[in-house]
Amino acid sequence: MENLESSIRDIARKLLSDKKVDLIIGYEQGTLPLRTTPCFVDKVEDVQKLVWNASCDANLSKYLVDRKEKVGVVAKGCDARSIAVCIVEKQIPRENVVIIGVPCLGVIDRKKVEAKLGGKEVLESIVEGEQIRVKGEGFEFVLPKKDFLCDSCLTCRHRNPPIYDVFVGEKVPETPEVNEFAEVSDLESKSVEERWAHFKEELSKCIRCYACRNVCPLCYCKMCFVDQTMPAWFGKTNDLSDTMIYHIVRAFHVAGRCVDCGACSRACPMDINLRELVKKTEKIMKERYDYESGLSLEEVPPLGEFKMDDSQEFIK
Amino acid sequence: MSNPYIPNLAVIRKIITENEVNDIKTFELVFQDPEAMKNFKYRCGQFAEISVFGAGECPIGIASSPTDEDCIQFTVKKVGVVTTALHNCEEGTVVGVRGPFGNGFPLERMEGRNVVIVGGGFAFTTLRSLIKFILHDANRDRFKDVMVVYGARNPGELIYKYDLEAWGKRDDISLNVTIDSAVPSWTGRVGFVPAVLKEVAPSSSNATAVVCGPPIMIRFTMPVLNELGFPHEDVFLSLEMRMKCGIGKCGRCNIGEKFVCKDGPVFAYKELQMMPKEY
Amino acid sequence: MKWKVLEKSKIPVLIEELTREYEVFAPVKKNSLVSFERVSSGNEIYLGFQNTKKPPKEVFFPQTEILFTYRVGKKGVEIEEHPAPRRKRVLLGVRSCDARSFVLLDKVFSSGEYKDLYYLEKRKNTTIVGLACNHPLSTCFCTSMGGSPFGKEGVDLLLQELNGKYLLEAVTERGMELIEKFPWLMDAEKGDIEKAKRLFEDAERAIRSKVSVEGVSEKLDRMFDDPMWDQIHQKCVGCAVCTYLCPTCCCFDILDEGTNEGKRVRIWDTCQSPLFTLEGSGHNPRPSGKERMRQRIMHKFDYVVKNFGEGFCVGCGRCIRECPVNLDIREIVKKISTWQV
Repeated sequence: MENLESSIRDIARKLLSDKKVDLIIGYEQGTLPLRTTPCFVDKVEDVQKLVWNASCDANLSKYLVDRKEKVGVVAKGCDARSIAVCIVEKQIPRENVVIIGVPCLGVIDRKKVEAKLGGKEVLESIVEGEQIRVKGEGFEFVLPKKDFLCDSCLTCRHRNPPIYDVFVGEKVPETPEVNEFAEVSDLESKSVEERWAHFKEELSKCIRCYACRNVCPLCYCKMCFVDQTMPAWFGKTNDLSDTMIYHIVRAFHVAGRCVDCGACSRACPMDINLRELVKKTEKIMKERYDYESGLSLEEVPPLGEFKMDDSQEFIK
Repeated sequence: MSNPYIPNLAVIRKIITENEVNDIKTFELVFQDPEAMKNFKYRCGQFAEISVFGAGECPIGIASSPTDEDCIQFTVKKVGVVTTALHNCEEGTVVGVRGPFGNGFPLERMEGRNVVIVGGGFAFTTLRSLIKFILHDANRDRFKDVMVVYGARNPGELIYKYDLEAWGKRDDISLNVTIDSAVPSWTGRVGFVPAVLKEVAPSSSNATAVVCGPPIMIRFTMPVLNELGFPHEDVFLSLEMRMKCGIGKCGRCNIGEKFVCKDGPVFAYKELQMMPKEY
Repeated sequence: MKWKVLEKSKIPVLIEELTREYEVFAPVKKNSLVSFERVSSGNEIYLGFQNTKKPPKEVFFPQTEILFTYRVGKKGVEIEEHPAPRRKRVLLGVRSCDARSFVLLDKVFSSGEYKDLYYLEKRKNTTIVGLACNHPLSTCFCTSMGGSPFGKEGVDLLLQELNGKYLLEAVTERGMELIEKFPWLMDAEKGDIEKAKRLFEDAERAIRSKVSVEGVSEKLDRMFDDPMWDQIHQKCVGCAVCTYLCPTCCCFDILDEGTNEGKRVRIWDTCQSPLFTLEGSGHNPRPSGKERMRQRIMHKFDYVVKNFGEGFCVGCGRCIRECPVNLDIREIVKKISTWQV
């Protein structure tokens, strides 16, 4: 990991001093244990701030839309895929971004760590290989990293960025065939009433802060459907049915585009499982169109076009 | 203690279309409760929150003069949800009125002095309230010379044409109406408001200026007033800002330590210069 | 006698008796979240938390609140006011930082010519039972913001956790009144009071996060056009987490729901939204994240100081822990206090 960190700094340094980019967007040390924070570097001497570790969870492609400058961005597999989606959707000019692809073995879910510690605060954390050492007041535990990765990382099949301009370090082995839709199948097996009750309960926690929407790189609309007033599509209060409309419609808006980076779930202050609804749409895309988003800069996404031989069995 | 969020009900007695493209209308309202009518004591420059139930509420400057006792008037431009709903109302519709809110024009800084009123476009509404008030028989003596410079993009956009006509016939007010660029049917002045103001060059001695208009007009009017020697504490502007509660609680119209709904919307230019440029 | 003790095992009894006379709001744990809810029995409450996700401001200033209902018909419009409930309430388990936030919020809702009766009525009818902090978090900085882990500002009765029991200290007359409703409460012994004092000293010492606001308000006066704001806002994604979870943020929107029959509600709003200052003409005085971030910081640490004499941050640390991008307000304040203007 250290090698990757210094490689990233070298690459950033070179890109800036060769004036190939005006700005580097990466990660720097956060102010809390188990956290990093997005870092914007435009001077060569600031390159030292950049870090790379298992807490580099933010999807930095969020910061690429609407930029006039040329940007070099540190991107994990999921991040690079969302950049690809934005490029295909013509939100980011390809020539304006230098994708610094970094192989990622998963990011730590600090909420899982917090839950394990039952309310005890982590004051210091160090990742040592496959383990996380957490220290706090009166305790020190060593936790197996694999048990505390984000859910989206557990079933990730794109640890190596599929699209990049510079690749940092060596490619890592991809995980063998995992059933990334196990959670979805679980939900599918429940009855309609059970599913509705489940979603109602989860979404009743929502405080309409829109952190989920605002951290999502695919939510780049200048006028989000949430904010429209003429007409207003649904209410702005935290009334449950309005809240559910928001989440369901947003799931439809990202359907076929979402790369399951997990940023939405991580951002939610109320610990709502936001991935599961969209994951179902991902499953449909895979089954119906054999499609995964963000793997190609040329392929037109299935929901972006209509082919004459598209299956139409649902039209009765 | 009364609840400041509950509107009083008022009936739309009359609707007057003010401009040619029909997106500015004046609504004459009469409170359903005669007590409410009596208690709605306002000053020129204040505003009220008008409700169209089901659509919402928005702040509108009061266009009638406090000397008009039988109704209150609001001139509204159709721009958003509530104003569109208001424009779709018919005479007889019941709407809500909360207020009056805001500080209003400082009459005490105009009494015994010359008054120069500069307005542009749709922002003329509260200035019209002020002019009607000053020109009223009971008040005229309290003020010295009154000069008005009012302009709009084109003749169709001039509002209160009926008032402008009446004022033009009076000899106790110097009325200068202008339009931005020449049009065949228009025989009056042509020129942007700041340019016309420069031309008519009112004296700044013992004078107070009141300016209401779009930001660009204000930007070019201030230097003219400066040149004419108006001290910044004698120039007053009315700020437009997104407002909701009207009573300084919801935070929306907060600029610096002030609230436009409570400490304004009228500010002396001197005061405005000390506030953050966020309006 | 203003000092009593309450055995932890007797809490359900206390709550039971309280609910007979008051509506009781206390922390309740559901999965990973602890939040203030109305409780009907002592078994529901959970006091083993550090602090709740959402601040207790929602008990007085709910996220959605009906102002009035209306009906539009042929005969005109009927309005039915929805006044704040007049029932007596107890809000139990509030940390000192949050209790202090009520005192700050009071200033907003009661200042000036108009009083916000929805908020003020609820406040008037509620007795606040605070819960002192034995173990502040690393993100707590209440002592820098005029507060303290055992702070009594805004508290009527303060619970202080000793081993197996709570020391109850009546801070106000109301707190005293509440204590007197439970004659079975035992008087505290000198040892209990001394122990609590030591715990308080330990807790204050345990607060490692220090943020100096000295001179920040004056400096901000000169920084409105400073280029610092260009850097600070870059990683902010403009969501509402910091404002909604902040105990002292209270900006709101007012809207109507229902065309002919419906309600006018007020809902939490955030200065971080691009729509907050967007005018009907399309003009926006705060068009980008930079202006909106500047407004947040200047409002919290400068403008309210001028209006109310103190900053509107109680040092609870929620915005720091929950910000999706780890934008840390302490870093910003530190930067400002050392910035060369």
